[in-house]
This record gives sequence, structure tokens and C-alpha cells, in this order.
Amino acid sequence: MEDEIIIDISGLQNCFQGQWVHKDVNLQVRRGEILAIIGGSGSGKTTIIRSILMLLKPTAGRIKVFGKDIDELSNEEADALRRRWGMLFQHSALFSSMTVLENIMFPMIEFTHLDKSFAKELALLKIALVGLPEESAYKYPSELSGGMQRRAAAARALAMDPELLFLDEPTTGLDPRGARKFDELILFLRDALNLTIVMVSHDLESLKKATDRIAFVGEGEILAVDPIEKLMKNDHPMIAEYFSTL
Amino acid sequence: MPDNMSSLFEFDQSAREIRCIGNWTVLNMDGLAAKLIELINCTEESLNINGKELKAMDSAGALALHNAITHSESVNKAVSLHSFNKQQNAMLKLVKEQEEHLHYEPPKQTKDNIFALIGKETISKLLQADGLIILVGELSSKLFIAFGQWRKLHVPSVVSNIFTAGIQALPILALLSFLIGVVLAYQMGIQLQTYGANIYIAYLCGIANFREFGPLITAIIVAGRTSSAYTAQLGSMKINEEVDALRTMGLSPVELLVMPKVIGLTLVFPLLIFWADSFAIFGSMFMSKFMLEVSYVDFLARIKSSVGVKHMLLGLYKAPAFAILIALVGCFQGFRVESNADSIGSQTTRSVVQALFLIIIADAVFSIVYSWLDL
Repeated sequence: MEDEIIIDISGLQNCFQGQWVHKDVNLQVRRGEILAIIGGSGSGKTTIIRSILMLLKPTAGRIKVFGKDIDELSNEEADALRRRWGMLFQHSALFSSMTVLENIMFPMIEFTHLDKSFAKELALLKIALVGLPEESAYKYPSELSGGMQRRAAAARALAMDPELLFLDEPTTGLDPRGARKFDELILFLRDALNLTIVMVSHDLESLKKATDRIAFVGEGEILAVDPIEKLMKNDHPMIAEYFSTL
Repeated sequence: MPDNMSSLFEFDQSAREIRCIGNWTVLNMDGLAAKLIELINCTEESLNINGKELKAMDSAGALALHNAITHSESVNKAVSLHSFNKQQNAMLKLVKEQEEHLHYEPPKQTKDNIFALIGKETISKLLQADGLIILVGELSSKLFIAFGQWRKLHVPSVVSNIFTAGIQALPILALLSFLIGVVLAYQMGIQLQTYGANIYIAYLCGIANFREFGPLITAIIVAGRTSSAYTAQLGSMKINEEVDALRTMGLSPVELLVMPKVIGLTLVFPLLIFWADSFAIFGSMFMSKFMLEVSYVDFLARIKSSVGVKHMLLGLYKAPAFAILIALVGCFQGFRVESNADSIGSQTTRSVVQALFLIIIADAVFSIVYSWLDL
């Protein structure tokens, strides 16, 4: 059970306008781990996540999520799969015309027939879990600070109790204290809700503190997948350079 | 995998035991919480809840269970949990810890009475008028400065505005004015035919097109196309903090964004009206020949002798007023966009409606002034 592989990417290739972003990406994510994807800018970290999330059709390659090839899913199966994961976008992507509470309740109301009061309690539970003060439930995203927006977006990503959570640069743009608190939140959520977390991050502190393994993307491939201590000793020139400049 | 609702739990009357079954996950939870509470209300004294057959429980399941437990405690019925695994207990504990946050209600907002509402609305309208006056003032002062320094006129930007607001509007404007010309000639032709006064069609169509329909159709199309585009452009720039970026660099958004639009539209608007006039006349000419057998040559000769350039100019004089109104309203509403997605939509609607409203008012003012001057 512990070592069950829930994302299996093999031979992923992506080509945009004649440029090969990915030549041959192979990556496995195990249940219950926090895996970070790092690499220089433009190396296609977010593109990997977007390929997994079916936001982008890869040029070639096979991606299996929960043991199913996402390329062969029917529309219904794909929708069912989409309910099993949550994504926290880089710029939060909260619906700006809804309050935080409505943002979180939105997927619940869309996908289930829960009665309003129960859905509201559930949404407030998520708000409390991500450490937002309860007054922010009735505020609009534009009234919140960047860090609080990020937390609200995390609460929305958790609305449907996903098994798999994707985070795109969750701590970028947060102050160091806020960033460390977010790391704690990530660890807490993983342990409390048995999540598997895949994140893109550049934040060395957060990589050290909140990840089990790190995949380094470079030259269109995954150059190494290792825990941080081991990866920092890797003598591949790109990896060494990445950590020397941090 | 939505399970059947009824299979989520079973109640064993003799053992007073609720056996939880299957997946207690958010997709299956419809009404479960309410049913549990109902069940608790129906039974007497203590209850056992058995989680042995539970396959999965997420936070929604935990919350439903938690609500059932707190409810039964509140009515003094003891509840004991059995055979929940470690993970499920942890989840329950998690919900319990957050208990105090779950019933948060928004602070009550005091309702204003009607007078307060009227007052607030008045103030907001006055502030809006104030904002428009400030915009006009800033625009005029920038214009005066720009006439001294040609670099500040931002010619490339003016030209690009002429292209998008003017050149690209030509096909649709031509088509619509042609059709208006046809319809006008047709409607008037029916009346004229009964009196045998066919040739007067040229005079009537000429006057109506040159003085009213040409300028109005142009203004309506430009308001729909361009004022909405201005609002959306400035609005998204404002949301993206581009407007603030300009300000912090010491550049004026009015000079860089509003002035080229106003100048460009003012330059191109008379040409658009002329274009619309020509096609409306073509339309009327075509219809007159077709329906009233007035030849093209007669029609044009008649327009020249009885309508003349004078009435065409009276229509063209309206151009600067319409152009400035449309550009100003579009830009002003764009600057009023707030940072949410609804706002761009509502401000764009408002900008088109206000532009059309003001155009019709302005047109009425022109009519009054022309009649005073006996034109």
C-alpha cells in the first residue's frame, strides 16, 4: 500500500511551435509522498503538471493516474478522475466574483446534492484547516492578502477531499514567515488528509522542509529524483549549478 | 462510484447499533447527516456506532458523523464509537478540533433605510460626475501641452486607434447604412407613390440620411464596437495594475491611453459618417430605381439641387461631439473597473448604454440648436 504508484509518466514529450520542451520525461509518484518538481525557468515544470491535469495534450507519451491511462478515458471517467485531484494555481485563480466561502462551496454544490447548511459547515471546516481566520469566509478574494488568497485557494483545492493535490509554486511571493507556515500546512494536510502532493517550487527552505523527494527537470528530461540531501550532492552540471546559485 | 444512499448505514434495533457501510465520501453524502440525526431522535438512550464495514471516510463523512455525535450529546444520549480505524479516528479528531469554527455566521450588516440609500446613491453619482469632470480636465490640460510638443501626441498610437476604430468598422458600417437607406426609401416610397410624387424621394432620403441617420447609425455602431473595447482594454489593464505601473513611472495614463483614443476617434469619425452617408444614399438610390423607377442620374441630380452640401455638413458637425462622448465614456468606465471578473462585464455594459444615451441626448441638443439657427 505504501509504495503504490499513483502517477506514472513514461516517455512524455511536449513540443510547442517547433521547440521541444520535453524530450523524454519519466516520473513516478508514490501514494502519500510529497514530490517537488524543480528546474530552471522554462524547463517545463508546470507543463508536466498541466499534462497530468489534462489541461494540455502531450505530443507523445503515456500518463497513468491511479492506474488509468488518461489518454484512454471516456469523458465520464475523466470527470470522475478530475474529482479525485485538486490544483492550487500559481496565482490562486479564485473566482473573483464569489466570496471565499462560495468559492469553496462551488465544487461541492456543482457535484453533489449536499444540503446547503452541511456544505457550508464543510467549507468552513476547510477554511479552518488551511488556517484562515473565519472572518475571511465572507470576504472576496480581492480583499485578502496574497498569502491568504493562497490559503483560500488551497481550501478550494481541498473542497472535494481529493487524494492528490497539485501545487504550482505555492510559496512564491509569500513572505518568509508566511512561506514557512505554508510548508507546515502542506505537511499537516498530507498527514491529516492522507494526501499525495506534487508541487513545483523554487523555495529552497520549503524544498528542504516539506518534501520527500525532488525531481529535477532539465534538458527535456527528469535528470534525477532524490531526496534533497542526495540531490544537492548530485554532480550533474545543471543540478550543481541550480543549487550553487540558490 | 456513487453508492446507493440507503446502503451507507444500517440500524440494528436490538443492539442499538448503527453500522456504517461503504464510502462515506463527499460524493455520496447527500442527506446522510440529516438521516443520522433523525435516527438519533427516534431512538432512546445510548447508541453504538460501528465503523467496521466503512471503506473510506473523508472529511465530509467525518463531519456528518461528528454532527450526529454532537447532536446526540446535546439531547443527552450517549454515543460510543467502535471499530473505527486509526485514520478515521484521526479524521474525526481533526473535525472535532475545528468545531468552534464550523458555525461561523457573517457579522450582521445593518440595513440602511430608504433615505440613507438615496443619499448614498446620490453621493456615488456625484462622485462619478466628479470623476468624469476630472478626466475631462486632465485630458484638456494634456492636450494643450501636447500641441506644443508633438512627441506627446503619440502619433503611432493615434494611428493604430484610427485603424481599429475606423478602418475595421468600414464593412459593417457600409452594410448597415446601405440597408437603412433601402428601408427608408421603401417606407417613404409607399407614401409618395400614392400621390405620384416619386421624385421627392431623393429630397426626403437625402435630408433624413445626411442630417440624422448617417451620424446616428455611425455613432451607434462605434459606441457598440469601440466604447466597449476601450472599457474592456482599460479595465483589464487596471486589474493587471498596468495603470498603476504607468503612474508610478511618472507617466500619465490619461495622456498615454485616453488622449490617443480621443484624438484618433475624433479624426476618423467625420470620415465614418461620410462613408455611412454614401452607402445610405446608394441604398436609397437602388430602392428608388427598383420601386419608384427614379433613375440614378435623376436621383443624384435632385439630391444635388434640393439637398446640397449644406445638410451633409449639418450632419458632419455632430461628429466631434459624438466621437469625444464615445471615447470619454469608454475610457472613464474602463478606469472604474474594480478587480473582479464581474466588474469588467458590468462596466462594459454600462459604457455602451451610457454612450448611446449621451449620443441621443447630444443629437437632440443639436436638433434644438439647428432649429434656433433656422438651419
